[in-house]
Amino acid sequence: MDSSNDDALDIIITNVVATFRTRCHLNLRTIALEGINVIYKPELGKVLMKLRKPKITASIWSSGKIICTGATSEDEAKLGARRLARCLQKLGFKVRFSAFKVVNVLAVCSMPFAVHLIDFTKNNRPIASYEPELHPAAMYRIKHLKATVQVFSTGSVTVTGPNVQNVATAVEQIYPLLFECQKPLCKS
Amino acid sequence: MPRAGSSCPGCGSTNIEQDDLYAQTQLVCVDCGSVVAEGSLDNEPGAGSVVSYRRTTSAARKPCANLKKGLQRVTAICRILRVTKEVEDLSQTYYTQAYQHEHFLNVSLEKKEVLAACSVLISCRLHDWPITLTTISCLLDADPAVVGAVFKEMVSVLNISVPVFSITDLIEAHSQEYKISSQHVPEELAEDYRALTKRAVPLVELAADAWIVSGRKHIPIMMAAIYLAWQSLKPTKQRLKFTLDKFCQMAKVNKQRPALTRIIEMKEMLCKLGKEIPWVTEAVNSSNVVRLMEDILKHRNALLRRAMRTQKALLEEEQDSGDDSVTEETAPVKIPELTEHAQSTSSVQQCGQNTERANVLGDEDDPCTVPELHSNTQKNQDPAPNWGKRLLFAPPCVIHAKIRRVEQTEVKDVTGDEEISDSEIDSYIRTPREAREFALAQKTLSSSEK
Repeated sequence: MDSSNDDALDIIITNVVATFRTRCHLNLRTIALEGINVIYKPELGKVLMKLRKPKITASIWSSGKIICTGATSEDEAKLGARRLARCLQKLGFKVRFSAFKVVNVLAVCSMPFAVHLIDFTKNNRPIASYEPELHPAAMYRIKHLKATVQVFSTGSVTVTGPNVQNVATAVEQIYPLLFECQKPLCKS
Repeated sequence: MPRAGSSCPGCGSTNIEQDDLYAQTQLVCVDCGSVVAEGSLDNEPGAGSVVSYRRTTSAARKPCANLKKGLQRVTAICRILRVTKEVEDLSQTYYTQAYQHEHFLNVSLEKKEVLAACSVLISCRLHDWPITLTTISCLLDADPAVVGAVFKEMVSVLNISVPVFSITDLIEAHSQEYKISSQHVPEELAEDYRALTKRAVPLVELAADAWIVSGRKHIPIMMAAIYLAWQSLKPTKQRLKFTLDKFCQMAKVNKQRPALTRIIEMKEMLCKLGKEIPWVTEAVNSSNVVRLMEDILKHRNALLRRAMRTQKALLEEEQDSGDDSVTEETAPVKIPELTEHAQSTSSVQQCGQNTERANVLGDEDDPCTVPELHSNTQKNQDPAPNWGKRLLFAPPCVIHAKIRRVEQTEVKDVTGDEEISDSEIDSYIRTPREAREFALAQKTLSSSEK
């Protein structure tokens, strides 16, 4: 995805979390028995089902609520969710694919420069927080986008947000702030 | 005797008589017997003036006992750390504010103790008093993670903007913990903390430039710096033979495991610079670099410039030779080059993740597959080396960057609403026979476990 700058920044989506409902009760023991690639966790009351293509792990509860993680795009998440619903249908449940929603998107991005975190925190005081003794990255929360950006001093940036568009916007917003706090590469 | 103007609310009759019950006057309906009205039981003269309970009986409102104890704890911590009066007063204010804030009203006593320590920490930070979170947690014998969490909550709840310490500010305070002055150890091993600080601070600054400090915990770095500084202040054979273990035992501090790796990294960095010293003829390696440390630190700027120039020359040489040959792997170790970022031919787009893809697509040697080599080695055929590889010093995550597999193309084709064929789904479902066998196997397994 391109940012609004001249150079193109590669934003790589590493994880998309989505939820949907099947509108029917699911018998977890049946799923565990008749499904392949299934792990039953009775102590947690859920079943973990892993699909091969797309590479997705789904947590299935008996109420019919399902969470899918591991997709690398929103469309892939939808495809995986539908495949899962189809699979459950074949197992004999009266599944109706409904309420599909992408809940969280995690992306990483690499800035072409290093960032001086102490300056960055000073310039963006209440929104940015940095505690080097606790975590090596500075955290920047963009409230109106509901996105959280973690900036590392090497220039790597991880963004989490509710959808891909927000994540891209967050990167665009934070780029100028990081640019002005960049660390010079060579000592003059 | 019937009373004028009054009727019984129960039956409605007007036949109401005064029939006193002991000292209480009562008006009673004759027909149904219900009490229509009654007088007051007591006729005290002072009924008009009302005196509240608070003014007569209750004792003066006392501050919460726990709050008092907490404030005493804050004072105790301040005394141990020997901070100024201002710091102590401010920490007491913050503690009181936080204690009475709704966020911290119902927390456990343990958390309240940690709250006391955090208020001291915040007040120290605001007054530029160098102290680390780890020191405070050691003082309290509390889990640093808990202290960290309470600290963060407190800062956000009280809306304080706390300045961050850089590691160089903390060194002097940290060096005072090491008991290696002449009172504690024999003369040949003794060092004054001021001399140690003076030697350690430029070393840590240099380490910060060499990407040894960023992202790492402060205390192991400071420990490594002080150990190396102590060795280099009097590089006798005895001192050079002292291991970190023995040094920590002597100085009565707890040894930090990561400090060993930091020492190795710092020595590597010093070797790279030590090679550039013009009057040193022998080869510089980690065993003799400590003797040269004083000179290296004194002339570090000049040595850095020389090292960068050497690298640049080597990079240009490599680029020329790289144009001729294609897949040769150069055997001798090469130092990664530095080029001015502005004039690099590779555009920003080619930096970062794309280089890994380029590495995978080409048949080039991959730095990631040889992680045991130092940052010194570089396979010279990277079509677009990322900014880390071109520099003299780069962070480890950039030098040993992860390969991103070329699965990106698959992603582009997915729309989310495609057809799902039956055969695909069948691969996820067991046949009835398989299911029966699986159930049987589970049963036998569980019975054998019992």
